[in-house]
Amino acid sequence: MFQSELLQFLTSSNSEETRIEAVPVLNVRSKSVLRAEGRRDGQEPAPPFSFTPQRLRIGANYDLFEDGDVRRHLYLQDVASSVSDFSQAPTVSEFRCHISGCQQLFNTLESYEHHYSSVHRHVCSGCKRHFPSNHLLDVHILEWHDSLFQIMAEKQNMYQCLVEGCGLKFKTSKERKDHLIKAHRYPPDFRFDKPKKAKSRPPGKVVQQSNVSMELGDDAGPDRGEPVAVESMELCLSQNQNSMAAVASDRKLKSSCSYKVPASICFGAGSLRGFRGGRRKK
Amino acid sequence: MWRLKAVGRKARRPEPHGEELRSERRQREKVLRQARRDQQLVSKRRVQEDDDESEEEGAMDTAGHLLSKEQVAELFQGLQHGGLKKLDHLRTLRKALRIPEAQLLFIKLENSIHMLVGFLSGTDAQCQLEAAHCLHELSHSPEPTVGPACLPATPYLITYLTGQSAKFTELCLYTLGNLCAESVAVRDKLLAQGLVPALAICIQRPSLAVVEAVGFSLSQLLQTKDAQDKIVPLVMASGIIPHLVAALQPDPQFGMGAAIECAWCLHYLTCSNKTDQILVDMGMVSKCSSLLITLGGAVATENTDEGLELLVWPLLRCIGNLLAGDLLDGLVPQLGDSRLLVALCVLAQIFLQPHPALTRESLWVLNNLTADSSVFCSALLFLNLVPILIQLLPFSLGINIMVLRILANVANEGSEYCSQLIHRGLLPALCATLKMADPDVVTLSLEVLYMLVTSSSQGAEEFVKLRGPAALEAIQYNSQTEMQIRASYLLDNVLPTHSLVDTTTS
Repeated sequence: MFQSELLQFLTSSNSEETRIEAVPVLNVRSKSVLRAEGRRDGQEPAPPFSFTPQRLRIGANYDLFEDGDVRRHLYLQDVASSVSDFSQAPTVSEFRCHISGCQQLFNTLESYEHHYSSVHRHVCSGCKRHFPSNHLLDVHILEWHDSLFQIMAEKQNMYQCLVEGCGLKFKTSKERKDHLIKAHRYPPDFRFDKPKKAKSRPPGKVVQQSNVSMELGDDAGPDRGEPVAVESMELCLSQNQNSMAAVASDRKLKSSCSYKVPASICFGAGSLRGFRGGRRKK
Repeated sequence: MWRLKAVGRKARRPEPHGEELRSERRQREKVLRQARRDQQLVSKRRVQEDDDESEEEGAMDTAGHLLSKEQVAELFQGLQHGGLKKLDHLRTLRKALRIPEAQLLFIKLENSIHMLVGFLSGTDAQCQLEAAHCLHELSHSPEPTVGPACLPATPYLITYLTGQSAKFTELCLYTLGNLCAESVAVRDKLLAQGLVPALAICIQRPSLAVVEAVGFSLSQLLQTKDAQDKIVPLVMASGIIPHLVAALQPDPQFGMGAAIECAWCLHYLTCSNKTDQILVDMGMVSKCSSLLITLGGAVATENTDEGLELLVWPLLRCIGNLLAGDLLDGLVPQLGDSRLLVALCVLAQIFLQPHPALTRESLWVLNNLTADSSVFCSALLFLNLVPILIQLLPFSLGINIMVLRILANVANEGSEYCSQLIHRGLLPALCATLKMADPDVVTLSLEVLYMLVTSSSQGAEEFVKLRGPAALEAIQYNSQTEMQIRASYLLDNVLPTHSLVDTTTS
């Protein structure tokens, strides 16, 4: 169960090596230097971190001592005759999806990760559909929410094959579909290959909500049809819906602005955050 | 008399009603928990004689001892008349008095207690012993009227603490200890009659069974609501404390019984805040430390009796609270053995199942040791104890919070400490704790994370490689302010300053 060295050490009678003085003490960095590293000069607020080491004193009546006290008294009362009667199993922490509006609980990390990947990761901010992969999401945004797309499709093959790595492009979505069925043996009713609906949301207009924070503006770079994805990010939260577009929206907005998110930008991070302004209240 | 070995002995008896016992235990536990919440947690103890055992073999048939009202009265009359049969009568009475109904009947008879006191203080040694047994049975009664009825006997019981045979003394002690658990009135009377000084003399007897009984009685006194004001000063004045400390060492033959009782007394005293100086001066921390090391070693090598936690628990509490007191500087010389840290980790790990609360308390002591201590934080790293701590992170009910506090203590010491933590795999573990449901766990994880990623670019880079920022983003859109502002700060101010590698492809 334990590393044998640890066990040997514990039962060692060599007082030289068990002296606390035998432990090499690492250098202690001065705290202010440490914290200052995280700060940019000037404009940033103080880091909101407040941990300080504390020695905790626990009074005799505190809840923390309850189990031990009960065990002692059961012993005094000679209630149980074997250790197994006293056994308690530890409880394992649950995981929770922290996205406001989702908040689902999961028993294992795996089930949480699975949930997050399928529901929150590749979400279109415009129409809130989610997709199982980046590639499909990219294709969707390009074909559905990019107003230049139609224009360009007239001149060149723009409909990408949905299979990653194939790379072929087609003139119409029907041609692509045929290709998918013939070459890649896809079913004709593949979920992620719906043709764009005729009635699309007019650009610049998203579902109105009364509690949108007003400091957000339209200023989201070259306007490509989703100028206020940030706004919709806010709205998603206040709408309290499950399929959150919020986290994906920044990135997808960027992609509709610049067609391709630079690979170096981390998912969701970026200048758009600056538009969020004050803290949201749920 | 009562031994932990007796626990094992009972276990080997055939258990026809195992399930009944378990449900009885659950019920008792419930009652105890409620009593604790009401600050009325007291328990009486019944001394068992060896010949009791043989009588209890087979069915727990108490009907054979149940006497009717007439029979009790008859017995009483027989005793009053004296004669040769009084010893037999007393023996019968003693067995009869195990049952609450008989106890009630007996005390209602006029002069019954007086008669017992007569035998108790008389010259016939055997009758004296039987009378003491009868009183003991009465003291153990669950009926609230029975215990106080024994008050006339107490001056004698207390007097006999200092001059009789060990066995007799033990009996008196448990009787008095049970009576202490009664009402305030009874307790006050016992205190006035000089119980505490008598205990202080008694504990110096060479018999460990007596020491155990003293410890039990004292623990009853110390657990009462008014202990702080009434009992603790008396205890301090009596000079019993050094003997309590001396008794902490388990004895290979006698076992842990005496050590357990004295350890619990010392725990209650430590909680009172008034005895810190005395205890420190007596080397209490050093003693607890070396005991915990021994016990940790025994537990790890599976070389133990059952019930070790009964001793570990109060030792942890004593050391934990003394560390949190004002006398920290005085403690440093007593904390010279680095194996204490190992013992605490070992105990935390081993007792996780069956006693997660003990794990939590062991980690609490580790927190108190490592807080603001570069020496102990370095030791934690040097002795390679961090992996054990990380393994405890999945567990809730205070365990992971305490582990995170300890790790935060270490990280707080500086960037060299942070590097070591990163090197030992803390970042992947944090990526998991950031996703846990408990907001306190997440907030504390963010605190630790902040220290790690600001300590060096290596920390930030590795965090990004592990796709950690995704977890932060999820937290950003959470309504809990504490979590949210920290996550946002990290994403906005700390992480972008490092070069980020995007690995968020599906």
